[in-house]
This record gives sequence, C-alpha cells and structure tokens, in this order.
Amino acid sequence: MYQTLSRAIHGLAVLMACLGGALLLAVVALTVTSIAGRALLPLDIGIGPIRGIYDLTEVAMAGAVFAFLPWCQLQRGHATVDLFKPAFPPMLNLVLNLLMDLGMFIAAALIAWRLFLGLQDKIKYGETTLIMQLPVWQGYVLSLIGAVGFALVAAFCVLRALRAFARSDPSEERS
Amino acid sequence: MSPIELALWSFPVLLFLIFIRMPIALAMLAVGFGGSYLVIGTPMMTMNQLKTLTYGTFSNYSFSIIPLFLLMGQFATLSGMSAALFRAAESFLGHRKGGVAMSAIGACAGFGAICGSSLATAATMGQVALPELRRYGYPGSLSTGALAAGGTLGILIPPSVILVIYAILAEQNIEKLFVAALIPGILAAVGYIIAISIWVRVSPNSAAVRDRVPWGERMVALATVWPVIVIFLLVVGGIYLGVFTPTEAAAVGAAGTGLISVMSGQMSLAKLKQAILSTASSSAMIFLIILGAGLYNSFLALTQMPQLASAWVAAQGFSPWIVLAAVLLMYLLFGCIMDSLSMVLLTVPIIYPIMAVLDFGMSAADFGLWFGILVLIVVEVGLITPPVGMNLFIINSMDKTIPISETYKGALPFVVTDIVRVILLSVFPSITLALVWLIDYLVP
Repeated sequence: MYQTLSRAIHGLAVLMACLGGALLLAVVALTVTSIAGRALLPLDIGIGPIRGIYDLTEVAMAGAVFAFLPWCQLQRGHATVDLFKPAFPPMLNLVLNLLMDLGMFIAAALIAWRLFLGLQDKIKYGETTLIMQLPVWQGYVLSLIGAVGFALVAAFCVLRALRAFARSDPSEERS
Repeated sequence: MSPIELALWSFPVLLFLIFIRMPIALAMLAVGFGGSYLVIGTPMMTMNQLKTLTYGTFSNYSFSIIPLFLLMGQFATLSGMSAALFRAAESFLGHRKGGVAMSAIGACAGFGAICGSSLATAATMGQVALPELRRYGYPGSLSTGALAAGGTLGILIPPSVILVIYAILAEQNIEKLFVAALIPGILAAVGYIIAISIWVRVSPNSAAVRDRVPWGERMVALATVWPVIVIFLLVVGGIYLGVFTPTEAAAVGAAGTGLISVMSGQMSLAKLKQAILSTASSSAMIFLIILGAGLYNSFLALTQMPQLASAWVAAQGFSPWIVLAAVLLMYLLFGCIMDSLSMVLLTVPIIYPIMAVLDFGMSAADFGLWFGILVLIVVEVGLITPPVGMNLFIINSMDKTIPISETYKGALPFVVTDIVRVILLSVFPSITLALVWLIDYLVP
C-alpha cells in the first residue's frame, strides 16, 4: 500500500518537474526566437520580436517554479543546516524530520489555499498583464497545479517521516 | 514587546530554528509570519499578502533569470566542454611543476564562464580532473582542495546566480556587477595557481610533470573550446551592451550550452530529464527561500528595524573600514555553517542599507558594485571551509580513498589566498571598479 503510494507520488513529482522543465524550455525557445526576430527586423526578414514575450516569460516561469516545488520537497532538496545532525541522537533526528515535514506541509497547504483565493480575486477584478493583456487569473490557474502538487507531496512526506519514526529506521528517509 | 524588540529577538529564534535543521525557507516563512502577527496583532495582513505574494515572487521577471542560468549550467555539464577545457589548459600549463593541478584551476575558470553555479562547476570539473590528478600522483589533499577551490570560480566568474540575487536585493545593476566580477574572478584563479605553485615547492611529492606541448598543438587545443568563448561573450557582452535583458541573455546561454551538448552527442532524453530535475530542485529551493526572505523582510520593515539600525550605525561614528571588516568577518564565520545563497538572502536586506550610509569615499553606485563583489567572495569562501563546505563534500565523495580530513587540509592554502584577495580588493576598490569605469567611458 505504502509502496504503491510512494511510487505514485514519485511519479507525480517527476511528471510535474518535467512539465515545468518543458515550460522553461519553451521560454528559452521563445526568447531566442524573439531576439532573432528583433535582430532581423532591420533587414525586414522574419516576424520581428514576439510581442509580450515579457508577459509570457513571467507566466510560464511562475507555472514552472510552482511545478518544481513537489520534486524539491520529495527529494528533501530544501537548503538546511545539518551541522548538528550527526551530534543529535537518531531518534531526535527522526522527530525533527517529522516536525519539519509537518511544517513544510502547513506552509504548502497555506500557499495553495491563499493562491486559490488570489485566483478568485483575479477573476473577479479581471486584471490583465501589461503588454499582451493576458488575464492574470490564467497564470494563477497554471500555478495552482504545481501548488496543489506541492501540498500533496508535502502531505506524503509527513506520512513518510511518520513511518520512519514508527519503525525508528533512519534509512527509511529516502525511500 | 515593542516592534524593535521583536525584530531583535527574531534573529536568535531564526538561527535556533535553522540549527535544529528546519529548512531555511520554512524558518524565514514562520518567523516572518509570526513576527508580523505579533507586531500588528492579527494574521490577516500576512494572509492577504500571501494571496498575491507567492505568484508575484515566482513570476517576477528579474528572478526568471535564475532557473535559466541553472539550466544553462546543467546543459554546460553535459556539453563535454569540461574535458575540452581541461585538455586545453593542460597543453598550456601541464609541463610546469604542479601543472596538472593548475590546469584544473584554469579549466574551472573557463567552465565558470558558462556556468553560474559553484556546485555544478565543482561536480563537473571534478569528474574530469580528479582521476587525472590522481593518475599523475598528486596527493589527495592537494587534488581535492584544488578542485573544491576551483569550483568556486563557477560563481566568482560571471555569470553568477549569487550576483543576480544580490543585484535584486540591493537594487544594483546586474550588467555592471557581472563586469565588476570579472577581474576579481581572474585574480581568484591566479591566486589559486600561485597557491599550487607554492605548495608543490614547499611540500615535495611524487607528482609527475607532463611533457611540454608545442605551440601549434596548444592552439589546436584552444580552438576546441571556442563555443565557451562565444557563449561567454554573447551572454556577458550582450547584457552589458544592452543587446539583451539579463533574462534574455540567460535564455541565450541556456540555448547555446544546450546546442553544444546536442552537437557533442552527449544529450539524450534520459540526460535531459536529469538536467531538468536538477534545475527543478535547485530552482524550487531558491524560490522558496526568496519567498521566505520576502515575508521575513516585510516583517522587519514593519518594525522599522533596518532604518533604525542604519541610523544607529551612522550615529555611532564608527570607522567605515572597521564596520566593513566586521561585516566581512561575520560572513566568513557564518559561511562555515550556512550555504551561500541563504546567507545572502537573509543578510543583504539588513546589511546593505547599513553599509550604504557609511562613507567609503566613493559614489553610491560604485559602492554597491564593490560591496557586492566583496560579499560574493566572502560567502563563496564558505563553500570550501569546514565543517560545512559543500564543494569539499562534492569533490571528496568522488574518491573514496581520500579521507575528508585530507580534503579539509588541502583547501586551507586556497582559503588563505581568498582572504588575501578580499583584503586586496577591500583596500584597492579600483581593482574591481576599473573595468566598469573603462566600459562606461567607452560605451557611454
């Protein structure tokens, strides 16, 4: 049961990270195209710069960064100071892992919840981006996918830490 | 408690949380959230702020340079350029005493010109150069120490992720910061080469020396690294001449290094996935810290602590140079236990306004650049100082026969050259600023 869940969560995190990566690559491709268009403009070749490339970059980047969060969380990729880890007794480390994962879950859930409320505001006020006039709420929807994934993965991490604690087995950390 | 007391208490609380292994981002989020709650008596303000703060931070156009530079670095590690750079450097330096180690430093410097991250530089160059160094009989301490130090060139030589963050926090010009970092970065490489040269003379060892390579072959070897030169000129030159925004330059750099790795035949779908997952993890880590720092700094702003602190320092009449020395020393000490990025994000919003009111006899713009480079160097030293020096761990883990204590010992001479360089650059600000002035003069 746990193994199935673990694999599903791992798959979800990898999938989201890869989708975020695809967004990042799309930004690279669009930016290079836009620069080439701008460079060729005096020669009257091609399509010119892409109008609203700044807006697109911002929206895609927000979507990508949110989509990167689940993978970082699952990998324990957050910056921590582990200076005292070897000095703490193993049981204390397991308790700390659990507490920190719980804290991360609260933060992730809070971020997703507030983002959802923010989304409702953006729909209500019909705010748009500066140049392309894209509705801002669309960027929020894109971001919400990653934010919900982050909260799901963070919830799984609490379970993972709880399980490691119950079995008092530090090697469970990464499984 | 008064707001200012809350602000003062927030530092020990934050440090305590970080020392009990709370992720730094989470610690800043929690203290920022709790602190604001205590100052205004209701969580509603922060809760409302969070409706737009997270999206606003992650979609910030200036910050979008960070994942792009990270991706560029990941592609650079796949590009096969590390091996080409090492061979080129070896053909120039290999016949000297300690030459193979010097070549590793030279190659790191070249790699740093297309990679903005120290860890990626250390990891990539380590894989290429460490087996070679061991084959030529270099002791484990020197081999790992030199590569760990060489790795820091990834961030000392522009482009550099840390400089981007400093530029945003201190509202400095990224273009000029990259230019200002160039001479100190080259000085760093020269300093490391001098350290190796002294080491192999003071402590005789069995390290072999390669045969001298004729100039013709050197030029052939140098010609193979042309993509590195082109990408570096395109990215840093393009930014400075205003051809691109920094974000566009980072995208061009990522496209360039991606293209080389495809052409070198190193790229595969599995490796692309690996590159994306690494970029994902580092980007998410950095953005979450930026978010935490945003919340924490808005709490500090509520308490007016940064203004009061800078007014207090200005009123004390301290010598600016003493304050600078104290601040740099503090960074060196913190660098032993904290990672460079978190340290910059946590401290620059507080330290920079304090330092900016002190009179170092230069314009505000020059001061911002000079101080940024000094901070960059001292936080990077943290990557090669025990007990927590990420570069040391990365390089050490590549050769199981070298104990970590040897690596600690091996890094020491390089730390000494770093400290000498910081003193030199502090005393002579024009070393850092000369190139900026020159380019400003030529390109008005």
